[in-house]
Amino acid sequence: MRLKLDPRTKLYMLLIVSAIVMMSATTPLLWTIRIVVTVIPLLLLISEKRYASAFRFAALYTVALVLTFRFLSEESTGILKALLTGYSGIVVQFLPALITAWYVVRTTKIGEFMSAMQRMHVPDGIAISLAVVMRFFPTIKEEYASISDAMRMRGIALGGGNAAKMIEYRMIPLLFSCVNIGDELSAAAITRGLGGKGKRTSVEVLRLRAFDWLLIAVFTAAAVVFVVFKYVL
Amino acid sequence: MKESIIEIAHVSFQYKGSANGFLKDISLSVKKGETLLLTGLSGSGKTTIIRLINGLIPHYYPGELAGSISVAGHDIAKTELYELAGLVGTVFQNPRSQFFSVDTDGEIVFGPENIGLDPTEIINRKQTVVREMQIEKLLGRSLFELSGGEKQRIACASVSALLPDIILLDEPSSNLDQGAIENLREEIKRWKEQGKTLVISEHRLWYLKDLADRVIYMDAGSIRQEWSGPEFASMGSETVRQLQLRPLEVPDISPPICEGGCDCADDCKTVSPLPLSDDGFLLKDFYFSYHRKPNLFGKKKLTGQDDMLSLCIPHLVLPKRSVIGVIGKNGTGKSTFLKCVCGLEKDCKGSIEIDGKTYKGKDRRKLCYMVMQDVNHQLFTDSVEAEILLSMKEGSKERCDTILESLSILAYKSMHPMALSGGQKQRVAIASAIAANAKLMLFDEPTSGLDFAHMEKVGALLKNLAASGNTVLVATHDLELIELCCDYVLCIENGKLGYMRKVGSLQ
Amino acid sequence: MNTKKLTAKDFITIGIFTAILFVVEFACGMLGYIHPYIVASYVVMIPLVGAIPMMLFYTKVKKFGMISIMSVLLAIIMFVTGMGYLGAPLIILAGVIADLIAKSGGYKSVQKTVLSHGVFCLWICANYFPVVITAQSYRQGLVDAGYSAEYCDYLFRAINSKTIAVLLILCFVFGCIGAWIGKAVVKKHFEKAGIV
Repeated sequence: MRLKLDPRTKLYMLLIVSAIVMMSATTPLLWTIRIVVTVIPLLLLISEKRYASAFRFAALYTVALVLTFRFLSEESTGILKALLTGYSGIVVQFLPALITAWYVVRTTKIGEFMSAMQRMHVPDGIAISLAVVMRFFPTIKEEYASISDAMRMRGIALGGGNAAKMIEYRMIPLLFSCVNIGDELSAAAITRGLGGKGKRTSVEVLRLRAFDWLLIAVFTAAAVVFVVFKYVL
Repeated sequence: MKESIIEIAHVSFQYKGSANGFLKDISLSVKKGETLLLTGLSGSGKTTIIRLINGLIPHYYPGELAGSISVAGHDIAKTELYELAGLVGTVFQNPRSQFFSVDTDGEIVFGPENIGLDPTEIINRKQTVVREMQIEKLLGRSLFELSGGEKQRIACASVSALLPDIILLDEPSSNLDQGAIENLREEIKRWKEQGKTLVISEHRLWYLKDLADRVIYMDAGSIRQEWSGPEFASMGSETVRQLQLRPLEVPDISPPICEGGCDCADDCKTVSPLPLSDDGFLLKDFYFSYHRKPNLFGKKKLTGQDDMLSLCIPHLVLPKRSVIGVIGKNGTGKSTFLKCVCGLEKDCKGSIEIDGKTYKGKDRRKLCYMVMQDVNHQLFTDSVEAEILLSMKEGSKERCDTILESLSILAYKSMHPMALSGGQKQRVAIASAIAANAKLMLFDEPTSGLDFAHMEKVGALLKNLAASGNTVLVATHDLELIELCCDYVLCIENGKLGYMRKVGSLQ
Repeated sequence: MNTKKLTAKDFITIGIFTAILFVVEFACGMLGYIHPYIVASYVVMIPLVGAIPMMLFYTKVKKFGMISIMSVLLAIIMFVTGMGYLGAPLIILAGVIADLIAKSGGYKSVQKTVLSHGVFCLWICANYFPVVITAQSYRQGLVDAGYSAEYCDYLFRAINSKTIAVLLILCFVFGCIGAWIGKAVVKKHFEKAGIV
């Protein structure tokens, strides 16, 4: 089953999840809420048939949770344990937001996103820039992969042990490529009317359906309960 | 006599801060519904003319502009770019950089959305375009997973959806294989039938010669010659060669490059790798897969029996001191093959045997060097000399000079590699390959987007490399290049060996 | 082309450089999980490494709003990746001030650019603010979240209300140093290659 969520719902989810993970969970109830708001985007990923990433995220999160609860405590010392604590702590802390962000980025089309931004009265400029950020991560990944191939082929991936060189060899070709692609990208976008004075339209019909409202309600409730139990009671 | 829709009068142009890419007193008028082909060497000003018509000059690329350009009654100098959007559409050269969206559907409707059309109208247009171009299969996909040819079709669809009267194409076939070019040709033909005015800048001429109403030959920023379409199509190959243009006919290397139905590659174990001589690089057990199931207990060794292999070459001999052309459709495994050979795909455990030595894993990188399709990715330093020295263990400046001299780029020794032209950059990369003592040199599409003069140079260069003891493996779509320099053709289909034969001794 | 207002091209450029800067941030951030002292050393690494794309960026747009918008984008990205909601307004504040400084130098003056980048780099510190402002509850939160007391002690020894001043100054100083280095790199590569 594929659920088509309104991009605004997705953004709202993202907002709530990142707010919740920023507040520390101290009681079992709070932990439960955290886990619930992590599981929902995971389920959504599964409904989008992104099994591999959902599985990886779930496994990582579970392992980190188990480690955190079972084996590590305030008293854990020693390098290895400190490292492990650090890692699993970070994973538990950031992964929920990351999963949600991943879900949002992977399942939101640029067109939908631009349309949602417009509906929320975000200035066009910021909407365009944000859309480009989303569009550009995969590009940076592609370019970087090919640059790092070239470095490995020449045996200079470690810059001969020189940190400055290591950074230079990665950064310079990457920047040259990105600037070139950027120039061509804007030329192609502008000749197709981007940045005109008229109001942009969109074929993406944004409509909050029942399921959207349900999710919004669940996430709002989660946030409210979390705050009330943490700070009020 | 039809009215003219594009009127360029006495235009001179010089890019800001640059000495090249200029136009000198160009006057040109294009009639409504005409198909105009611009050809000529790289840097002769073809692209600049395209940019004059779509308004990127002077609005996007600043510079000194004199003269007047009028397109469908608009004075370009006084018209904002977005006002031209529904009037002039442009298909650019590089399929990778010209899309704004991530998904195909969004890309097709991107233009109409920008100019603020009514959503129902946009959806109608999209459906029409998709039906006309028969690209239903491409809908709902991520643009990042499409091949170059498929991306270019989406680019055409996106331009089509704006229903412009004028469509410009700037070297649209540069990165395409033959099948994709056929598709592009169909698209251009359809536009022509719809009465659109077309201006096409292109090096590859064979697919356009029957479509063009008029052909213009540019040289150093001026219009040098002009033919009517039929005149041009019937031009002798001698004249074409004198003008340093690519041939009007596709050289017939073999029956149409590995058409899908070819059964020669069905069982990769039975293909006998030619030639049978032992004097060469023996490639063994090159298996690779992009779609492997994640295995919790380490990686399973790939064998020829696995399904879903992206590359399956159990045994292959590459003859020494020869140039071997690797052909096959886009996405059929040519690039994967090259990457595996030079050891860039860690999971590919193949070995290379030469002169009694066996190279495996990372060692393969000592033996091989690949000149990538986008050569910009492999230039790291701030001068040509430093670039070569980076590849040399001993760091001998004399040897560096010798190498540069042999490739005739010594004059650019202290320049920044990125300031050079595409062909010169390629030579710098070749120079570092020589400096690294690579014996097996791999080239991934070295001639995409090159004019014939430059292609001849590349061909000669590859022959020279082979003559001086190297073995050259070149993946290419350019049949002209194969005719120019290759000793053997190796056809790869779906990751398997199709055939390998000597050039010139077909059937 | 000569308009003072940002065009579609400028917005695209801003998006691209924001993406690059975030990737740099993220790559450096990964190192931070090795040891808390590395978290503190962000103030050295990110300004130095990030300065290279930033200096190129300064030569590209040259209009008021370029850095402000970038900081808004960064704030949004930081927020959604769960890296400090207290920091978001501070990131934008640093961005706007940096923009104003660069503007006063007409986006050309070297000193103003260096100064502007120094100020802009304060955005990195914004990530530390939760540690400082809500120190006690944050520490408790970390301990509860499974961090060892040792890790927390390290973290708080490195980052607290006294050292935050030092960190801010370091950010600024390394922002300026980074800008000089970045300028040199831009000159060495991009100017020599003739693309700026």
